Order: sequence, then C-alpha cells, then structure tokens
Amino acid sequence: MALAVSSPARRRNVFWATFAAPGVAWLIIFFLVSVYAVMAVAFGTVDPILRTTIPTWNPLQWDFSAMGKVLDRVFSGDLRHVFQRTFTFVGLSLLGCVVIGYPVAYYVARKAQRSRGLLLAALVLPFWISYLMRMLAWTNLLQIDGYVNDVLRWLHLQNDPRNWLDGDWYTVVIGLVYGYIPFFILPLYSALERLDGRLIEAGRDLGANAFHTFVRVALPLSVPGLMAASVITILPMFGDYYTNTYLTSGSPKTEMIGNQIEYYLRGSSQPQTGASLVLVLMAFLFVLMVYYLVTTIRQQRAAER
Amino acid sequence: MTTSRRQFLARSAQMGVLLGAGVPLLQSCGKNSSSSDRKVTKAIADGLQPEKGPLRIVNYADYVNPDVIADFENEFGVKVEISTFDTDSEVIAKLASGALKADLDHSVANDTIGNMINGGLLQPLNKSYITNTTNIVSTFNDPWYDKGATYSLPYTFFGTGIGFRADRIDAATVADQGWDTIWNATDFKGEVSVLDSDREALGMAMLRNGVLDMNSKDQKVIDQAVSDLLQLIDLVNVKVNIEGYKDIPEGSTTIAETWSADLITGAAGYLPDGVTADVLGFWHPPAGEYVVTNDSMAVLAGAENPVLAHLYINYLLDNDVAEKNFSWVGYLPALTKFDADYVINGGYVPENLRNCVPTQEEIDKGLYYAPLDPDTKAMYEAAWSKFTAGG
Repeated sequence: MALAVSSPARRRNVFWATFAAPGVAWLIIFFLVSVYAVMAVAFGTVDPILRTTIPTWNPLQWDFSAMGKVLDRVFSGDLRHVFQRTFTFVGLSLLGCVVIGYPVAYYVARKAQRSRGLLLAALVLPFWISYLMRMLAWTNLLQIDGYVNDVLRWLHLQNDPRNWLDGDWYTVVIGLVYGYIPFFILPLYSALERLDGRLIEAGRDLGANAFHTFVRVALPLSVPGLMAASVITILPMFGDYYTNTYLTSGSPKTEMIGNQIEYYLRGSSQPQTGASLVLVLMAFLFVLMVYYLVTTIRQQRAAER
Repeated sequence: MTTSRRQFLARSAQMGVLLGAGVPLLQSCGKNSSSSDRKVTKAIADGLQPEKGPLRIVNYADYVNPDVIADFENEFGVKVEISTFDTDSEVIAKLASGALKADLDHSVANDTIGNMINGGLLQPLNKSYITNTTNIVSTFNDPWYDKGATYSLPYTFFGTGIGFRADRIDAATVADQGWDTIWNATDFKGEVSVLDSDREALGMAMLRNGVLDMNSKDQKVIDQAVSDLLQLIDLVNVKVNIEGYKDIPEGSTTIAETWSADLITGAAGYLPDGVTADVLGFWHPPAGEYVVTNDSMAVLAGAENPVLAHLYINYLLDNDVAEKNFSWVGYLPALTKFDADYVINGGYVPENLRNCVPTQEEIDKGLYYAPLDPDTKAMYEAAWSKFTAGG
C-alpha cells in the first residue's frame, strides 16, 4: 500500500483534487455556513430591548414558533397571494426570456459570423451599468410623458398616454425580463455553440426542411441548455424586490416575496419571520436547484460518452 | 431570558461565521440576569479637549448639508465621516453587533430612542459642552421620549398630514374632508400614496376612525385600520412610498399622506420649470389630533470621539448653522428662531405652506408614536405586512 500512495496515478489525483479546494471552500463558506446562519436566525431569538437577532447555533435549542406562523400564513393566510404572485411574475418573465432570448442566443451561436464578437460584447454591455441605475432609467422611460408613450403615440398604437408605473403586473414583468435576460442568453449561447453541427446537417441531408430540422433536431438538443439558463435566471428573480418597487412606486398590487423578506429583516422587530420566509423560499428553489444539478450531470455524462 | 453574556457569545459566534473562522457551537452557561435592566453608561467629564477625529456620524442619506459638514471640518480641524442607513433597525443591529463603530447618531427617531438608551447604545450628554440648548424649542429640552433630554437633543421636527396639488383639488375641500380625502380620491386613481411606514400609515387610518391613541394595543382597532387601508387598493390604486416630496411637485401624485417637511423640500427643489409653489398644499389635523415627530442627535456609547461629538451637536444647534442646514435639507430645526414668520420672510417657505411649520400649541399637544412592547409591535407589523402584500 505504501507503494500505491506514491504511485504517479495517485499523486496525479491528489494534484487535481487540490484544484477543487477553492470551490469546496467557497461552497462551505458562502452556501452551507450562510444557510446555517439563516436557520440560526430563523429558529433563534431576538434581543428583548433592541430587537436585534440573537442567532441560536445549537439545533437542540431551536425555536420553531416563527416558522410555524410563517407556514400558516404562506399556505392558508395573507402571504399565500404574495407567493402566488411571485411565482406568476417569475413564470411570465421566464416565458419572456425564452421567447426573446432563445432566438438571440441561437442566432449569435449558430448563424452570426463576423458580427459574433460584437453581438457578444453587446450582450455583456448591460452589466457595465448597475441594475438599480437601469431600473431608474426605466422609470423615466415609462412615466406618462416618457419616451415609451411618445414612441407608441408616434406609431399610432395608442392615443392617450398610459401610466406604465401604475402598479400593473406587466410593467414588473417587462422590468424583470429586461433586467435578467442577459443571464438567460449567455449560458444558453454557450450551450448552443457546443451543439454538434453535424447532426443538424444530417437532418437537412436526410430531407427535413429548415423548420423541421430546427424543431426535431436543434430544439431537443438545446433543452439542457434551456433548462440551465432558466434556472440561472429565475433564482435571482425570486429574490428580487427592487424591480417591482421602482417600477410601480410601491404598489401593494405588485408586492413580491422579496419585499416581505426585506421588511421583516430590515424594518421590523421580528427578523426570525424574515429568515423563516427565506427558508420557505429556499425550499421551493431547492427543487429547481436539484433539477439543474441533475441536468448538468447528465449533460456532462453525455459529453464524456 | 437572555443574558448579556449569552448575547456577547452569540455575537462573537456570528462574527466568527462572517470571517469564516469556523464556529464552535457556542452556548452560554452564564447565569441569567434580567436583561431588561437599563445598561448604565456614563457621561464624559467636564473640560476635556476635543479628540483629533475623524468624527464618525451615522445618518440617513442626504439629511445634512455637506457645506455645514465642510464648515465644521474647517472650524475644528478634523475630518468627518458619514455612514448612511435606511432604517433604525438597520443601524441598531449594526451598532449592537459591533459591525459599525461611530460617535454620533445624527437622526434617531423618537420611538427608537428609549430602546437605544435601555440597550446601552447611547451615553448621557454632558451639557457643559452644549451651550446652544438655550436656542431649542423648550418642549424638546424635556421631551416625552427622553426626560430632561438626558441622552439626546433635537435635530429636526415635522408633522404628518396630507400633501396635495392645490391646482387639482381645492384646499377647502381637503380641509373639509380631512383624512377622508385619501379614501374619497377616486377621481385621482393611481395618484394617491400613503407613507411607507407601518406606524404612520396604520396610525393615519386609526386617526380617521377617531382613535387618538396612536399606540393602541387593541387588535380590533388595528384590524379596522388595516382593512381600511386595504380598501385604498381598489378605491384609489394606492401607492406606498415616501416620494411625496418630489412626486407631488412633479405632478405624478395628487394626494399623499406626507410629512410637512416634504412640501417645504418639494417647493424648494422639485418644482418643474414654470411651475410655482402655488400648486402645493398641505393639510393637517387640528392640535391634539396632529402627530408631530422629531429626529434627534445622540452620542453613541462606544464613541471614540465623544467630546467632538458633543461639539458637533452644539454646532448644529447654533442658529446660523441651523439656518444654513435648513436651507439645504428642508426639515425645520427645532429652534425657537425658526417660527413660521421667520422662515416665510427668509424665503425658505412659501406663504401658502405656512401650516407646514408646527406651532407651539401643535407641538405641545402633539400625538406621538411611542415604543411598543414586542407583542403589540408584532401586531402592527403583521397588519402592515398584510396591507403591503395586497391583502
């Protein structure tokens, strides 16, 4: 055995394993410990005078009363609507991302020739400006005397200017699609770029027209990429609370679960309630995360074959 | 039931996590001592020399004139560093955990001060450094939230009423309907807002129902208030924000629950070209039904520059400095010199917004939001969460 330890193969394994160390450390510090800290707050107590959190680190002493109340409110009480609304907004925004983002990603990955570099740069460009600044810009574009109404009037699509910031669901969806679509396009682009072009050519050679080749060959092959892009996009959308706040002037009709979390954690005397809401949301998102991991693993296996 | 020792350990553990240092599951085995005891902090001695700074201040964003800060830096030869925050709970959490070290809290809300005193976050003031207390409106030298102004001195004060567009709705109509103006504003659907504050918005609905106890523990009173607020969603498509200071002058809001100072700020800085302050109006309930609130300056218990912090408070209570600051922030200093006549003649406040300056009677009879016990506070918070969630 002593010989085996120093064998070149074993040494190579140790060498490569150290490459995973930063990732593992990252995962432990920023995921596992963070989640544990959220649990310690959710199941912990608060300072009786200052109402600041006192996390309880020992699971044996955890107090689940705040979580119980939150679950009641989420499943049968006043928070159910907020969860339903959040899922609806995120679902519609994802649909928007797919409808707009898929053709863009497909074009850049498969069709664009010389313009590809320029298009990729254009896709990354929004990241140069802070998300909040971009949303503030939209509030100017969408206000009654803003450019959006000017353009619509010029195109004769509407006569009376519309107040886009009036607390309507579609404004929030527009904002979410705009804000998160680069997160959707970029991973999808990299998946589509790796598609085996020979399969598409084979489809054409065997008599399918362009449409059928796309629907029968290209689209099924891009499903794993679509899934990954979708998960990466909707995870941050679920936690969003500023897009709707900015774009609807704080209308109760567009409140998302992120707003409730923000209120309970930053503006209330019950941070345990906020942390419990975080955990409930995470439980929902965990399902999506598992799906994402399973598809990536499958993709990897397929690539190795 | 928690001891201060346990808090200390828990917080150390929390910091350990933040630093990624690995966390032994620390649990206190210390003896329980009642944590509701006031933590004793001591005032500084007389006649000390000011420290070299930098003076570290926590404050809301854009809530002090940068020129006033620059003047103070020049006069005392020190640097001033300002950290900004959005909510009182945020600043208390940071101070209590030790994540934030500062000398002076520039703007403590008066329903927070008591908790900060009891929690040992503030130190008593040594008034021998603060000679300008004679300038202060007398009520604030012995306010309800801090008897004898032992720990705090007032920075600004303002009342809660209705800000409106006088060119769209008649001032007499607003005065006639009072708080009902907001519920009756069906002609201005989508142009109506209430303050993004649990106490202020629920309190307003309570006042409308004739409840004068702004700190009511009656679940029925709170339930009624939240169900009335929820009606506003369908009636007037209500918005929840604190943007009245710009949305009313700019015209996107017609009727809003606002602070009196919002109109003064709005008139001074947010009217579009060609629009005069005549379009602005403010209504507030009569003395005795009018909520008058103030923000206060206080020296923090952990101050490393306590003498400098005292000198800063004294500086801001100087009439000329306060005037320079007022001209920029639009929130009235709580000094006797700044009555309605003075600020109107000085051109700071237009005549039609005279009632944005609370009178002595309104201050003395003012209603206020007192600190609540945890159970009652949770009731208000659940009601607020229900309203902002849309029911």
